[in-house]
Amino acid sequence: MTPTRRVTNLALLVSVGLVLSIIESTFPPLLPAPGAKLGLANIATVIALYLFGAGMALEVTILRALIGGLLRGSVVGLFLSFSGGLVSTLVMIALFALFDDSFSVIGVSVAGAVTHNVIQLLAAWLLVRHAALFYYMPYLILIAVPTGLFVGLASRRVTLSLQGLPLQSR
Amino acid sequence: MARIRREGCRQLTISRVKRTPGRIKPADIVLIALFVVAAAVSLFLVSRASAGEKGSLAIIEVNGKEVKRIAIGGGQPERKFIVHGVNGTSTVEVKDGRIRMVRSTCRDKICIGVGWIDSRGKEIVCLPNRVVVRITGKRGGNGRVDTVTE
Repeated sequence: MTPTRRVTNLALLVSVGLVLSIIESTFPPLLPAPGAKLGLANIATVIALYLFGAGMALEVTILRALIGGLLRGSVVGLFLSFSGGLVSTLVMIALFALFDDSFSVIGVSVAGAVTHNVIQLLAAWLLVRHAALFYYMPYLILIAVPTGLFVGLASRRVTLSLQGLPLQSR
Repeated sequence: MARIRREGCRQLTISRVKRTPGRIKPADIVLIALFVVAAAVSLFLVSRASAGEKGSLAIIEVNGKEVKRIAIGGGQPERKFIVHGVNGTSTVEVKDGRIRMVRSTCRDKICIGVGWIDSRGKEIVCLPNRVVVRITGKRGGNGRVDTVTE
C-alpha cells in the first residue's frame, strides 16, 4: 500500500465511523445508562481490522474518538469515548491476532462491545466516584451481546464486499 | 537457504496478521456464553450489595406530592397511619424497621399484595389512590444515582 493509498483509506474509514456515530446519535437510547449504545461506529474499526490489520484499526479508533469529541465539544464525552474505544480496540486486536484464527468477526466484535461498555462505565466512575453507577454493570454487559452481534454481522457483510475492490493496490 | 533464514527470523508482528471475517465459530459461542455468565454474576453481586442497604426513612406521596415522612429505622414503635388518597384512604403500618400497606380502598389491592418493604429504593404504589410509599436511606436523599453523565 502506498502512503497516499493508506492515508486515503484511513480518511475514508474515519469518516465512515464519524457519520455512523452521528446517525446513531439520532436514535433513542437503548438504556438510560452511560455507554449503552448500538456502537455503529465500531463497524469502521472492525472493517479496518479485517481489511488492513491492527495498526489501521487503532488509528481509525483514535482519530474517530478525537475528531468526534472535538465535533461534539464535550471533554467528558471525549474522555469516555476515547478510553472505551482504545481499550476495546486493543481487546479486539488481541482476539483477532493472538488466538490462531479461533474467533470469527462475531466473537471479536462482541468482545469489543462488552469491553467498550465496561471500560466506559469505569471511566464514568472515575469522573463521578459514585458506586451506584455499578448497578448498570449487568445490563451494560448483557446489552453489548446483541449490539456486538449486529456490528459483527454488518462488518462481515461490508468486509466481504470490499475485499473484491483494489484497495491495497497502487 | 534464504528461505530457511527468513522462516527462522520470522517474527509474529501483530500488525502483520491478516484474517478473513469468517462464519461464527465455537470459540465465539463460548465467548458469548462467558459474557452472559459475567452479566449474571455481576447482577448477583450488585443485588447482594444493595439488599443490605436498609432504609431508615419512608416517604409517603399522594398524587406526586409528599405528604408525610416516617422514620422506620430499628427501635421505632409499631404504628399505623391513615393516608387520604384520591379515591379514599390507605392505611400503612410500620413495624420492626419495615413498612407495608394494610388497608386500601382501591379495587385490586395490588399495593397490599406487595407486602413488607425495608430496602432503599423500594416502593409500594397504589395507582387508583395515587399513593406512593417510598423508602430512602436518610433524610433528603432519594437513595438513587445523583447524576448520570454521557
